[in-house]
Amino acid sequence: MTGPVIPIASESSGSNFNFRLHPPSILTSLSPQLAAQFPPWSIALTMSLSSASSTLLRTVARQQLPTSRAAVTSCQQRRGVADAKSSFESPFASANERGSTLKIPNFSKYKSNNSPRSNQVFSYFMAGSLGLATAVGAKATVQDFLVNMSASADVLAQAKVEISLGAIPEGKNVIIKWRGKPVFIRHRTQGEIDEAREAKWEGLRDPQPDEDRVQRPEWLVMLGVCTHLGCVPIGEAGDYGGWFCPCHGSHYDISGRIRRGPAPLNLEVPAYSFPEDETLVIG
Amino acid sequence: MAGFANAIYSTFIRKNTVLLTTAFAGAFAFELAFDITSNKVWDSWNQGRQWKDIKHRYMVKEEEDDE
Repeated sequence: MTGPVIPIASESSGSNFNFRLHPPSILTSLSPQLAAQFPPWSIALTMSLSSASSTLLRTVARQQLPTSRAAVTSCQQRRGVADAKSSFESPFASANERGSTLKIPNFSKYKSNNSPRSNQVFSYFMAGSLGLATAVGAKATVQDFLVNMSASADVLAQAKVEISLGAIPEGKNVIIKWRGKPVFIRHRTQGEIDEAREAKWEGLRDPQPDEDRVQRPEWLVMLGVCTHLGCVPIGEAGDYGGWFCPCHGSHYDISGRIRRGPAPLNLEVPAYSFPEDETLVIG
Repeated sequence: MAGFANAIYSTFIRKNTVLLTTAFAGAFAFELAFDITSNKVWDSWNQGRQWKDIKHRYMVKEEEDDE
């Protein structure tokens, strides 16, 4: 569909414009009245003509070319005459014509009677209110997503373990399962408490006073997982009267602090609470 | 009216930071009020049907059993 660009003078509109049109729009050169009836976008429709009809059009256009060249020449001559008169004729239609689109309408009907400041305040108020609504909506969206990610109430309820402490005599260990891990509960005697409190904890590998590891001194609650490689230490064993890990020989004291062996940290203390005097809730 | 508009303008709008701060503070207050109001509407609409409305029927008995 390549071909020469054909300048066409449109005589019917009465203006001195040179339209540079591409071959698909040859239709307009064939019939200026047709071009006036159909808007430019309809030219694109001719693209979808069958190849036979477009071949026909091309043939016709080739025969019509001399005519359109003559039209161009006459048009240029006329423009030269207009320049000689040295008067300006707008290429656009004048506003005085009937139905002209160049008339500026009267907007005074729509003009606000308020002061410019109050109009400004109204605009800024609307913008600020939109910002307010956006902030609330964004916050609610983000919060809903985050709440969705956190554990639901039934999961949280299942993740807790309640133990009755009355069944544990003094000086005994109890191992329970909590979230798939063993938890050591030791009812310490007064002597063990004194031993744990009097130890020099500042020089230990993981220095931590006994007060930070227990809520009530007689109840020691720890995760029964060796901090070295995750074995379960044995209670009431080891050189320090606490726990001893048989896997690699880590010794923990009566407060669960690492004293000797490869383990780097003290036995972990889970979150727990005493909702009643004789009840322990882990989790 | 113009004086009122001028006061509003010079108080809240003249500085963009003040406008933003006001918008966010208003968002906070609006959310609080909206949540409280909608919760009240929900509770009054579902009066007697929620767990907190019928809890006393069941929890008191349990406590009596414990005692």
